[in-house]
Amino acid sequence: MKASIKLTLILLSLVWISCEDPITVDLNDAAPRLVVEASLDWEKGTSGNEQTIKLSTSTPYFDTDILNDVTDATVRVTNTDTQQVFAFNNQGNGLYTTNAFVPIVNNTYQLEVLYNGETYTATETLTPVTEIVEVSQSLEGGFDDEILDVSIFFMDPEDEENYYLIRFIEEGDQFPTIETDSDEFTNGNLVDEFFEKDGDEGTQEEEFAPGDTVEISLFGISERYYNYITLLIEQYDSGGDPFSATPARVRGNCINTTNPDNYAHGYFRVTEVDVVSYTFD
Amino acid sequence: MKQVLIGLLLLMGSQLYAQSKYSVRGTIKDKNNGETVIGATVYLEGTGIGTITNEYGFFSLTAPAGSYELVVSYIGYEEMRTQVDLSSNQTLNFEVAESRTALEEVVITADETEKINIREPQMGVATLKASTIKQMPAVLGEVDVIKSIQMLPGVTQNGEGSGGFHVRGGAADQNLVLLDEAIIYNTSHFFGFFSVFNPDAIKDIKLYKGDMPAKFGGRVSSVLDVRQKDGNSKNFGLTGGIGVISSRLTAEGPLFNKKGSFLVAGRSSYAHLFTPAIEEIKDDKVSFYDLNLKANYEIDKNNRIYLSGYFGRDVFNISNFVENNYGNFSGNLRWNHVFNDRLFSNLSVIYSRYDYQVVLDFVKLDWIADINNQHLKYDLKYYANDSFKLDFGVSGILYQLNPGEVRPTTESSAINFLKLDQKRAFEGGAYVSAEHKLSERLTARYGLRYSTFSRLGGQNITSYENNQPVVYNEELGIYEEGEAIGETSYKKGESIKKFGNLEPRVGLAYQLNENSSVKASYTRSAQYLHLLSNTTSVTPIDVWTPSGSYTKPQLSNQYAVGYYKKFKDNAFSLEVEAYYKDIENRIDYVDGSDLIGNNNIETEILNGEARAYGLEVLLRKNKGKFTGWLAYTLSKSEQRSLGGNAGGPGINDGNWYNTPYDRTHDFSLTGAYKLNDKWTFSTNMVFQTGRPVTYPNGQYEYEDLSIASYSDRNSDRLPAYHRLDVSAIYRPNRKPDKRWKGEWVFGIYNLYNRRNAASISFNQNTDTGQNESTRLSIFGIIPSVTYNFKF
Repeated sequence: MKASIKLTLILLSLVWISCEDPITVDLNDAAPRLVVEASLDWEKGTSGNEQTIKLSTSTPYFDTDILNDVTDATVRVTNTDTQQVFAFNNQGNGLYTTNAFVPIVNNTYQLEVLYNGETYTATETLTPVTEIVEVSQSLEGGFDDEILDVSIFFMDPEDEENYYLIRFIEEGDQFPTIETDSDEFTNGNLVDEFFEKDGDEGTQEEEFAPGDTVEISLFGISERYYNYITLLIEQYDSGGDPFSATPARVRGNCINTTNPDNYAHGYFRVTEVDVVSYTFD
Repeated sequence: MKQVLIGLLLLMGSQLYAQSKYSVRGTIKDKNNGETVIGATVYLEGTGIGTITNEYGFFSLTAPAGSYELVVSYIGYEEMRTQVDLSSNQTLNFEVAESRTALEEVVITADETEKINIREPQMGVATLKASTIKQMPAVLGEVDVIKSIQMLPGVTQNGEGSGGFHVRGGAADQNLVLLDEAIIYNTSHFFGFFSVFNPDAIKDIKLYKGDMPAKFGGRVSSVLDVRQKDGNSKNFGLTGGIGVISSRLTAEGPLFNKKGSFLVAGRSSYAHLFTPAIEEIKDDKVSFYDLNLKANYEIDKNNRIYLSGYFGRDVFNISNFVENNYGNFSGNLRWNHVFNDRLFSNLSVIYSRYDYQVVLDFVKLDWIADINNQHLKYDLKYYANDSFKLDFGVSGILYQLNPGEVRPTTESSAINFLKLDQKRAFEGGAYVSAEHKLSERLTARYGLRYSTFSRLGGQNITSYENNQPVVYNEELGIYEEGEAIGETSYKKGESIKKFGNLEPRVGLAYQLNENSSVKASYTRSAQYLHLLSNTTSVTPIDVWTPSGSYTKPQLSNQYAVGYYKKFKDNAFSLEVEAYYKDIENRIDYVDGSDLIGNNNIETEILNGEARAYGLEVLLRKNKGKFTGWLAYTLSKSEQRSLGGNAGGPGINDGNWYNTPYDRTHDFSLTGAYKLNDKWTFSTNMVFQTGRPVTYPNGQYEYEDLSIASYSDRNSDRLPAYHRLDVSAIYRPNRKPDKRWKGEWVFGIYNLYNRRNAASISFNQNTDTGQNESTRLSIFGIIPSVTYNFKF
């Protein structure tokens, strides 16, 4: 919702006779940091035993095709409620996997990564999620009344504060669209989230057409992760345009206990997720 | 406070003995239209006794009995000389006529008269007449008050298309903007592309860049005092213009048998004008309009009342899914009363309001918010004698702030009704200020303002664990919201928190010789309202928040010294000023703060401090075929927000960082060349160091996306901003007796089509996955034509 208000301002600014063009900028490069993408997502209806953690390092902003997988780390996760330990196996390509993970709603898990002689830890609680009750397509739901859009509907639980992450990806697309939502304005209501692709020049996106398939995931997330990922997405989408918040450093929950200044990027999240697939007709 | 008052009275008393003295007072008006003339010089030839007319054209002089030659002068007008036999108090009203040979003057009137200018201790002040502003080249031909003051030293913009202005490294909310004494909370139309002041309704503007007279309070950076015209009291007349963006029409004329006059001015943009031309935005409506009103009536020679009003609105409707409208409203009633030959007073009752509404059709949400105030003030000026004048008065402002109300727009909307707490506050002020000629060469101005601020009840205040609304998370190295532990309810009559501040204002002017002087000043001021924004641009939905339990008032000290010189028979003048200021309690938002719809703003901010210093040079040419000025500023503006009560190192690890308004170099040249009676050419040249911004210093992959990591706050800079504008004014042959007078203004903004970066954004290309940097530039080369007329 707040993202919508910000979007409004951006759109309003673009009505103007403004002009965008690529420009070369010299940036100051920071030293590489460890990047932890530890997303333990328990899909509804599955056992949740199989989980993957991805480790890499940051690179200069404009670099491409760089080998930055971290292949020499040790990774494990502990359920601090049950004291059960899950060791993640190094696949040698930056991925660390397990097929023995046991997800328990509202239990707390601790991540431990050993890398370059330094220890990184993070703690997170498995947040449950309400289910997607309906998926439907329409013309009217989105920004443009002439373009197909898809909406999911879910019932927000009234008794607690809820935070959501919604991930849309069309089959064949390289990049997902990620949004967050909280029930600050919609507590206890039937909430809908729509997804639409505009055929605008610039983005070169193609509008949805009958036959297209999208996968939509609704994650239950913690408040702290909500704050983190909302900011991350906002900065990703805006990249510093004048009507969005001034970009800033975004810190996740991975702490370097050996050398606190050398914190890691990324996040250790433990969520429940409801996934649906939808084909336009 | 009391002692100072007694001191002042004693001083006055000491001046009141000796030979009998008499006063001459009156009002100076323009012969042509009856407008009162602000800032005209009135002096007694050969005595050094003189004064400047006040905001209502009033003057009063006192001199020993005798015969004098009284001179009234105002640049662009013919000088008037009258023999005065001072053997009793008398009233003399003058009407000055526009000089036939008058050039379309580019004048800063506060400095127009040799004797007074150099002697007056007032520093850092610039006055621009509407006629000057109208002559400067403007983007799309839309003459603009705010854009024109940005050509002065020490005044900068925050990038094209962003509202507000910045004075001596200060933020936009630190400027007190007054339209006929009413506070204007948002000076922008179209998100800052244009300002709310219709140039046809404006008489003149005065900008105080820090050395604020004691009668002004409530802001720490500057005062922009905009005065509307009174209306022609001689004849009925129409003024108007047709431009690319908007059209204007002003009607004015005498009222009540020429005992009064009125002015009604309207301006409106053309909705749909250029949006339908662009296929993608053909359904969009973008428009603004405003209405100015003024009327006055002279009851008798000692009493005059003024009524003035302003109403302006911006309306956006984007493809029917987003609607946004916002605007200011102000109204004011003033009563000028002359008690006697030496005591002038004005009582004002003022109301101002700013509100906005955002309707998001696609989420079925309607958001409204406003800020309004009622303001009562009483100002007096006592012209004790030729070497002592006293200003004093009181004021009270009652604020009501409604930060937001969210409503569902339809039955089926998922939005719940939500109303953020209404905030109320009272700001009181009392001041006394003396202008005292200590010797032939030395003049002092010393004054004191006492301001109070009371945050009033009628809302609940959240209390936090350890009294920390913001807490540093030691482990994660981030600032987070504090743990709310309860709420205290305050009744409407109760005061939640009170503040009081003494604000001394002192200035000295020492005249070195006929043509040059040095000045020094010290100003302390307090600001109780803060505009919170974590965006680069001032947007209409930014949140005003009053000081209270968790936010302290901003307090600033400004020290300035200056050197002033006139040369070549006053054709040129040079002003050099250096300043240093510091501000306590300048708030800044923590990294990743969320200000929209937040009922507890205190959980997102840290109290910090700011400092700014600089050197300003202004060289002007006031006479001849070529007039104009050259301004250069070298400056620094930075701030620091330590963790304080919240713990931790603070924003940016507790280091000083550039404010977004820091400009190392700022150079402007504006000039007009009058070729002949038909053609006048003018130009603007601007060069500014780029605005401080925050750029990425790396990338990493997360959720399959390339995420940028950002460096320290404001540690990078946009490329330098520069441009050149030209315009030509063509006045067809005019017969002196013909009432219709027209002129064409042809302009080219940004002549060499410099693509000045309003911002540079960093994004991942969703086709290639490659990271890219994109420059957003607002105005390229823009030609325009405007037709103005007078009837």
